[in-house]
Amino acid sequence: TQCLCATTGVEDEAATFQQEHRHTGRRRDNDREKKRKNERRRKRRASKAEEAGDELPERSEKTDKSRRRRAKTDQEPKTGVKEDGEQFKVKSEKAAKSRKDVKNEKNKKAEQEEAEAGERNAKGKKRRESAQKDEKEVKQEKVAVNKKAQKVKKKKHKEVVETSSEPETSEADGDEEDDEEKEVRPETLSAEELEMLKEAVDERKKLIQSLRGKPWPMKKKLVTLRESQKFVEKYEGALGKGKGRKFYAYKVMMTKKWMKFQRDFENFKTACIPWEMKIKEIESHFGSSVASYFIFLRWMYGINLILFGLTFGLVMVPEALMGRPYGSIPRKTVPRAEEASAMDFAVLWDFGGYAQYSVLFYGYYNNQRAVGWLKFRMPLSYFLVGVGTVAYSYMVVIRTMARNANESGVGDDNSFNFSWKMFTSWDYLIGNPETADNKFASITTSFKEAILEEQESHKDDNIHLTRFLRVLANFLVLCCLAGSGYLIYFVVRRSQKFAIDGLENHTWWERNEVNMVMSLLGMFCPMLFDVISALENYHPRVALQWQLGRIFALFLGNLYTFIIALMDEINLKRDEEKIVKFNISTWEAGLFNGTLWENSTAPPVTIQPADVPRGPCWETMVGQEFVRLIISDTMTTYITLLIGDFLRAVLVRFLNYCWCWDLEAGFPSYSEFDVSGNVLGLIFNQGMIWMGAFYAPCLPALNVLRLHVSMYLQCWAVMCCNVPQERVFKASGSNNFYMAMLLVILFLSTLPAIYTIVTIPPSFDCGPFSGKKRMFDVIQETLESDFPAWFSRVFSYASNPGLVLPFILLMVLAIYYLQSTSKSYREANVELKKKLQMQNEENKKKSKRAALKAQLDLEEARKAASQNTEQQKNNSGSLQDLEVDEEEKHCTSHRMRHGKNERDHPSPGGDKDHQPAATRAPVPRTYHHDVRGPPGYLPGFPRQSEPRMSRAPSLQRH
Amino acid sequence: MVSPAIALAFLPLLLTLIIRYRYFFVLFYRAVLVRIWNDCATGLSREERAFQYVLTQATPGDPDSILDTFDLWCSKVEFISNIGPKKGKILDRLLMEQSPLTVLELGSHCGYSTVRIARALPLGARLYSVEMDQGNAAIVEKVVRLAGFDDDTVELIVNPSDEVIPRLRSDYGLERLDFVFMDHWKKCYLPDLQLLEGSGLLGKGSMVVADNVLFPGAPKFLRYIRKCGLYEWKIHRATLEYSRGVRDGMAELVFQGIK
Repeated sequence: TQCLCATTGVEDEAATFQQEHRHTGRRRDNDREKKRKNERRRKRRASKAEEAGDELPERSEKTDKSRRRRAKTDQEPKTGVKEDGEQFKVKSEKAAKSRKDVKNEKNKKAEQEEAEAGERNAKGKKRRESAQKDEKEVKQEKVAVNKKAQKVKKKKHKEVVETSSEPETSEADGDEEDDEEKEVRPETLSAEELEMLKEAVDERKKLIQSLRGKPWPMKKKLVTLRESQKFVEKYEGALGKGKGRKFYAYKVMMTKKWMKFQRDFENFKTACIPWEMKIKEIESHFGSSVASYFIFLRWMYGINLILFGLTFGLVMVPEALMGRPYGSIPRKTVPRAEEASAMDFAVLWDFGGYAQYSVLFYGYYNNQRAVGWLKFRMPLSYFLVGVGTVAYSYMVVIRTMARNANESGVGDDNSFNFSWKMFTSWDYLIGNPETADNKFASITTSFKEAILEEQESHKDDNIHLTRFLRVLANFLVLCCLAGSGYLIYFVVRRSQKFAIDGLENHTWWERNEVNMVMSLLGMFCPMLFDVISALENYHPRVALQWQLGRIFALFLGNLYTFIIALMDEINLKRDEEKIVKFNISTWEAGLFNGTLWENSTAPPVTIQPADVPRGPCWETMVGQEFVRLIISDTMTTYITLLIGDFLRAVLVRFLNYCWCWDLEAGFPSYSEFDVSGNVLGLIFNQGMIWMGAFYAPCLPALNVLRLHVSMYLQCWAVMCCNVPQERVFKASGSNNFYMAMLLVILFLSTLPAIYTIVTIPPSFDCGPFSGKKRMFDVIQETLESDFPAWFSRVFSYASNPGLVLPFILLMVLAIYYLQSTSKSYREANVELKKKLQMQNEENKKKSKRAALKAQLDLEEARKAASQNTEQQKNNSGSLQDLEVDEEEKHCTSHRMRHGKNERDHPSPGGDKDHQPAATRAPVPRTYHHDVRGPPGYLPGFPRQSEPRMSRAPSLQRH
Repeated sequence: MVSPAIALAFLPLLLTLIIRYRYFFVLFYRAVLVRIWNDCATGLSREERAFQYVLTQATPGDPDSILDTFDLWCSKVEFISNIGPKKGKILDRLLMEQSPLTVLELGSHCGYSTVRIARALPLGARLYSVEMDQGNAAIVEKVVRLAGFDDDTVELIVNPSDEVIPRLRSDYGLERLDFVFMDHWKKCYLPDLQLLEGSGLLGKGSMVVADNVLFPGAPKFLRYIRKCGLYEWKIHRATLEYSRGVRDGMAELVFQGIK
């Protein structure tokens, strides 16, 4: 009845209130009516004839409950108990009334009015009017309104009287009454009624809150929600009096406004997250794995923005604003020989000419200790920013990894394979029917595959062939790797030859050969790996990991080949530098001598900085190489995107009208989004940034630009020309894998950078560290000149190996300790999990046992009852038999085993039922049935199957 | 101009394409190059060559043997896009379940599917086979007779399908088609299906089976059946006949009527 009560909506309550309102001060009457109402309902359940018979005692209004109950139970033994319970319930909670109750009430009312000819109603009205007059604050208008309303009400009642011959009054009446009542109520409510109203409103509110968890159909929920909201809205304002009410209404309004504002603010916040909506859209079309790439891209973008901020704000801008202007010193000027072509696009595109002699590269920076009026320590800042970017990156990556590791938790994927698949494989973010189809298909296939796997794990017939194929595949991949490595090595060697010849004599193709070949190999080899991996016949997840590992090896090999080539080039440049250094000293001497000879009194000749000979600044060269690599990489990515995805999509789409087979479904088809390749590309790109950022401060800026563009371009390309993957993966597990890769790459890319910084002396005439023996000398210099003496002494003590080594040892120990504790925690976790599982099983067993026992008892009771009835029928209700029955309840099964019960059983039919079942083993179906909990018949199960189910295990228990 | 190293860098791409689409290349070789070569060499059409082979190798009057011989020729010698043994089994099963009395076959090509259907038909059923090409129709006639089916079982109609379908009711006195098998031009699947709907020959429970809906493919047809809601449909996924790696499907439609 509670459910019913909840659904009844507005009319119910309104009617209740109306009724109570009408009979203000007639509580007793009310109570009596309630009683009658209950009777009425009970009567309704019974037949019409009975109703007619019961009419009299009801009218008399003096009810003997017990007597009537007995009568009822006599008449209808089945429903009697239930009715009683209901009656009790209704009495106990007045507020909760079912619709039927109310309707009955109305009927009752109508009947009464028929009897009393509306006399009472008039009385009530008078009474209330007098009460109102007692209240001094009541205004005339209100009274008028009341009168009017009451008149209307009266009319309504007459209508009700007219229609009361029907069993149920129409609902429309109730509704109308409500509407009219609304204006009247607030002024005329007594405190008691207000309290009730408040209660009702609270109840509604509670209902609204708990609605989500109710096991109702959606339609019912919606209807209930709407009605409850309407009710609450209507009557909430009525609570409180006068000023208080106004204030309350105001408060309610403000709460609503506030909530709306909060919701809007949430929306706004979501809108503020960059590209959130785009990513969500992609997620809904392509599943979360593709979206995870874009989220990763966004994350990378954020990191690059910070790196960019650091380098831009602390290095580039101070140098550009406060450092010496362009053309003031040789390192800030384009040399005379290059001046003619310094502004050509081809040169600028290669980051030569004016681009080379600008803040974008290492060589432009001056070794002046402090620049500008701020006394900004430029070299120190340069060094610290270089170190800081790397340190920040480490920090961020490791922190993210740790957070992800927390989320992943303790995973044992193998134990509930099918359950996981069953309950967790759906990706709830999918919003596109096609993707949903794909996901559905992929889940189905995964089920099929898992079943096949399970089957095949038992019989390994062709293991040798599989092994051979796997070895073959790896061999082929190794060949590919070696081939690509050799090709890059060959190209780099050739480019060195070109460099010695002079780059101007060669074509653009030859000059950019290294970058081109690297990009092309990085693009095509993964495809080949993908094809080769089809040989191996791995599970797709395993295959994906292999694929990632192979691509990783390829990229790493390519990158390190490139770095080794760069190292060679650095050595070449340094040899060149030595020669230039020697030449310059002779040139300076010559210059000085010349002037001395010519005219001793003339002022020293001012030489244009462009004419001054200079060394081959190897740092700038490295920076340039990295920038070129990034640019060519970006270009290749975009061009592949345009050709491989867009052009293909266009061709497939429009050639399909006039082609002899279906291009869309068959052969070329649309491309799929390659998550792993893209992620790895991004990671390696980032690695190059980390490597080169020290020598080319513009790299983070370039990368930010690149990521920004590729965000838009790839979002567009994905939505426009890719189709959802045929096997839609969920991305949950792979995130940390990518992060681990990023960490490895970060380490591997900082390695060469640190190596060059530590071992190779900086160029003598370019960059912020020129003139120093090593780049990190800048720190020592700062310590000596900018800090008090005691600080540098402390620092020198602190950097003493005797102190540093123990510290490092301590750190290692701490790390070891933390590691081992985390390990033990993990083990404890697993242990706890196991325990939980065990306990769960134990509980299951226990409840099953309890259920079995209860069932057994119930069955015995039933049997006893049936025996009783039969005994009564057979007229053989002797005491002895009863005793036997009692005994049987306790040890039936025992007796049954001995076969003594034949005498006790009057009904041989039941016996036949039990006997064969006793020897049967428990079937799995029984188990499932019993686990469900309390004993009882399932609606579909025949009665006779029940003892069979319970008896078999119970016998085993003995 | 372009350095050889850059050209070499494209080698993986080339290899990838060759490996990934090897079945298509093989198919191209077998279905197009070999056919052109043999056409020039023998002066006979492909269907005639197939018939000659069947005539010499198969047992007359035995449909199974004829089908097997066709399969052998198509997989070992040349390629003809018959329905093939694997998809043929699905077709057989559908026919057994349905046991239709009037069957329409659109596009009999060289009689393989005609024999296949006729073999599975119940007693008293009739198969109307529509073939557009005169030469092919002659071969179909011979193959069907060779398999031992007479005019009562198989009726061959030599006309384009879009002309035949509107006249089926008037010329052949058909009231209802229980089973329709489509294996002619893929572009004609949709218009022919709509013609069938318009002619009112499809009743509730009539089955339409269309071969090769994924490769070479009939995307418009698939889109239509997905959208129109007149059919209960599913696609039996298989590979293309006589070829392992090319995926193909056979659409099975059950007409539900307008609800």
